[in-house]
Amino acid sequence: MDRSNKGSKKGISRRKFLKGAGIGVSGTMALLYFGRSVIRRGLSGFVAEMDMPSGISDFGPHLWFEVNVDNTITLKSPKVEMGQGIFTGFAMLAAEELDIDLDKIKVVHATSANGILGNTGVSNSTSSLYVNIREVAATLRETLKLEASKLWGVGPDSIETKAGVLYGAGKEVTYAGLAKQTSKWETAETPALRPASAFKYVGKEFNRIDLPDKVLGKPIYGIDTTLPNMVYGAVMYSPYIGGKLKNADLSRAESAVGVLKVVQDKDWIGIVAGTRYAAEEALAKVKAAWEYNPNYNTKDAIEAVTVGIGTEVNIQKEGSTGRVQSEEVKSEYRTPIGFHAGMEPSIVVADVVDDKVTIYTSHQHLPFMQQSISDRLGFSSKNIVMVPVFLGGGFGRRTFKHNAVEAVKLSQAVGKPVHLLYNRQQEFQNGFVRPNTHHVLSGKLTDDGKILGMQHDFASGPMGFMAMPKFVEPILGADFVVAGHGARIRYAIENLKTTMWQSSLPFETCMWRGVGMFANTFAIESFMDELAHKSGVNPLKFRLDHCGDTKQLNRRKKLLELIGEKSGWYRPIAEDVGRGVAVCDDHKTIAAAVVELKIEEGKIVITKVYQAIDPGVIINPAGIRQQVEGATMMAISASLHEQGTIENGRFVETNFHNYKVATLKDTPEIEVIMYEGSDKPSGVGEPPISPIAPAIANAVFDLTGKRLRTLPLQVALENENNSM
Amino acid sequence: MKVSLIINEKPIVLEADPDMPLLWAVRDLANLKGTKFGCGKVLCGACSLYVDGDLIRSCSYPVKMAEGKQVTTIEGLSEDEANLHPVQQAWMEIQVPQCGYCQPGFMMAAAKLLEENPTPTVEDIKNGISNICRCGTHPRIINAILLASKIKAHGSIK
Repeated sequence: MDRSNKGSKKGISRRKFLKGAGIGVSGTMALLYFGRSVIRRGLSGFVAEMDMPSGISDFGPHLWFEVNVDNTITLKSPKVEMGQGIFTGFAMLAAEELDIDLDKIKVVHATSANGILGNTGVSNSTSSLYVNIREVAATLRETLKLEASKLWGVGPDSIETKAGVLYGAGKEVTYAGLAKQTSKWETAETPALRPASAFKYVGKEFNRIDLPDKVLGKPIYGIDTTLPNMVYGAVMYSPYIGGKLKNADLSRAESAVGVLKVVQDKDWIGIVAGTRYAAEEALAKVKAAWEYNPNYNTKDAIEAVTVGIGTEVNIQKEGSTGRVQSEEVKSEYRTPIGFHAGMEPSIVVADVVDDKVTIYTSHQHLPFMQQSISDRLGFSSKNIVMVPVFLGGGFGRRTFKHNAVEAVKLSQAVGKPVHLLYNRQQEFQNGFVRPNTHHVLSGKLTDDGKILGMQHDFASGPMGFMAMPKFVEPILGADFVVAGHGARIRYAIENLKTTMWQSSLPFETCMWRGVGMFANTFAIESFMDELAHKSGVNPLKFRLDHCGDTKQLNRRKKLLELIGEKSGWYRPIAEDVGRGVAVCDDHKTIAAAVVELKIEEGKIVITKVYQAIDPGVIINPAGIRQQVEGATMMAISASLHEQGTIENGRFVETNFHNYKVATLKDTPEIEVIMYEGSDKPSGVGEPPISPIAPAIANAVFDLTGKRLRTLPLQVALENENNSM
Repeated sequence: MKVSLIINEKPIVLEADPDMPLLWAVRDLANLKGTKFGCGKVLCGACSLYVDGDLIRSCSYPVKMAEGKQVTTIEGLSEDEANLHPVQQAWMEIQVPQCGYCQPGFMMAAAKLLEENPTPTVEDIKNGISNICRCGTHPRIINAILLASKIKAHGSIK
């Protein structure tokens, strides 16, 4: 690697980032106005294969690190910790170059004042900073050596670093001791990184560094934020989809005990009170009338999301699709609306003093939140300080929809910091949801059990448009980047076609862990199973038969072989157990699952899940195992139980009594298998979500001969049994 | 009104609306933030704590009902941080939490389950705790409770 023209702190990694990001934003957008269909297909393929950039562009070690007086080092994380374990992985990466023990590295969130705070999502926090964190750490180490060399009058190359101490010229000084003596720092050149063969931490299992606080119940979450003079807010939003506030009677709320202020805005009513209880009680006394469409029901959302309706965009075409259209096998699949239902509801603490705002929040996209406060309320961005706090779950819910504008307005109204929390009903009715989807798969088989052609037509509400400038929507035509993630058929098949129909829905839809991969994998991998059974080939062998010879398909093949071996796939299984397999490629990561299940008194009981993952470099196997187990459980929940429904213009689901999620009762044995199929790391949090639903459906078919093509599968099984 | 209660063995007098849920009294008046708000309707268990030794979902339990009673929260589950409750030792050993938000409620429920049934089976655990976790720590919760049962019996983790 040529490092000769590298700047002192914004070196190779920055240019790499800009190159990667540039393709997606400027160049392609301009080109899209011309040769649309070809470019759209190209962009779809590019996005499916790309390395996800971190979005961080400043790598000065002074922004990332602080040397503390007790000779520990604080690393400021540009990404938020929402349970993924990234703080632990970041500390491990920094320790590789810092020559200080892992337990001497503390990780905290950067604030927007650091200049390095980014958005968190797309499962890329660790993989996208794999090189950067080591480079910034190495630069800090070299900077310490440079300053010590000046102090001792020797060359920096004669100085060695070990366990937080610099040695040279027969002398030694701790990092903290040196920092104490240094008033003006000269940042060293970024050195070449240590090779993977010299890794001391990467690849080994380490406990989570955030775990003790979480076991001891320390006040680390957004909801735990307490400021002097802080008061509590509560806000009423329309319980109806798209509801507009017609009128409100605030008199009883205004005179309620403990109320400091009642604020009526365009489409919400806010209360500020001395306690959260007083604020909630007063809110219950508000009488509001809303204008909405009382005739909107689940069936309308299902009808709107149907192949053939909306903007049609072809995103994959290989060979002759005419041969596919004379299909032999054709099936339709549907997935429902899904809620995130993270355990900590949306929370913002806003402190407005004159023209300055400080926001404390457990949110994924703080720069976005900062921008929206600036855009909507006129504060200068530099006067809005964003302070991230640990999240009680993210899952995509805490990306774009937030309550910061309301919190800022309430803080302005009372001149005090305001703690504003969604209640659980608002999390369901006023958050945003995973859109429902519809898929039509068709395929044609050859006489010798090969797929001659396959076609995937699907419809979905948008997931990623909220993340893009408005002008991008008509250029893309459909949200194939996010909602269409995973829609392309990634097997070696001669004739292929994938087409998306962009649906329009009256409620807000956005990312949910795995984004489009979740629904698209359910459809494609269920259909692969149907084709396998039709051709009489073992479903795992059938998949292997359609893995071609590209690098990525060879990784897929390897992982499928591995899970086949580890799960004993080719060995006979008890008669009352069904077994199913599925696989997906989520950017560069491959995940494959084998599910074993029984049906007891009409209930699907999953007894064992094997989940294999190839995320390239395995940084912390302990962290990856945790993420894969977690994704498996969340996917079991969504696959078996979860569905959002609409009646008379509002979401029916308001809390956990009518939105069933997995509990301890749904827990199978989970065996995680890891394979390192590349020397570059890729995402872990989302990929293992997606193979679970099809693997369950395929296992149900294996056991019962019933093909369930609608999520959630437990409901689908009951409907199937009732219709017989 | 003034409500006198004992939280984690310390007497405290709170100035609170008598109907305020104990959850908010503990969190925002007594400033013990380990007990969490999840659903507000006794459904998820994030707000679990003990009142006179009984496992209570405090989001829907009026503070006035705790008058004169002993309240134990996650902050009071162990004697001190050097002598952790077997459940917390097991939670550390098994590395249970991810986001961690629901975990205090789970640990309070787990400690109570072990008090009532020192040697639970996996089925006992699955049927005995109905709390909700969204990160998917379920398999580790079950394993940690099995381990905590052993720690309780043998006095140490080894």
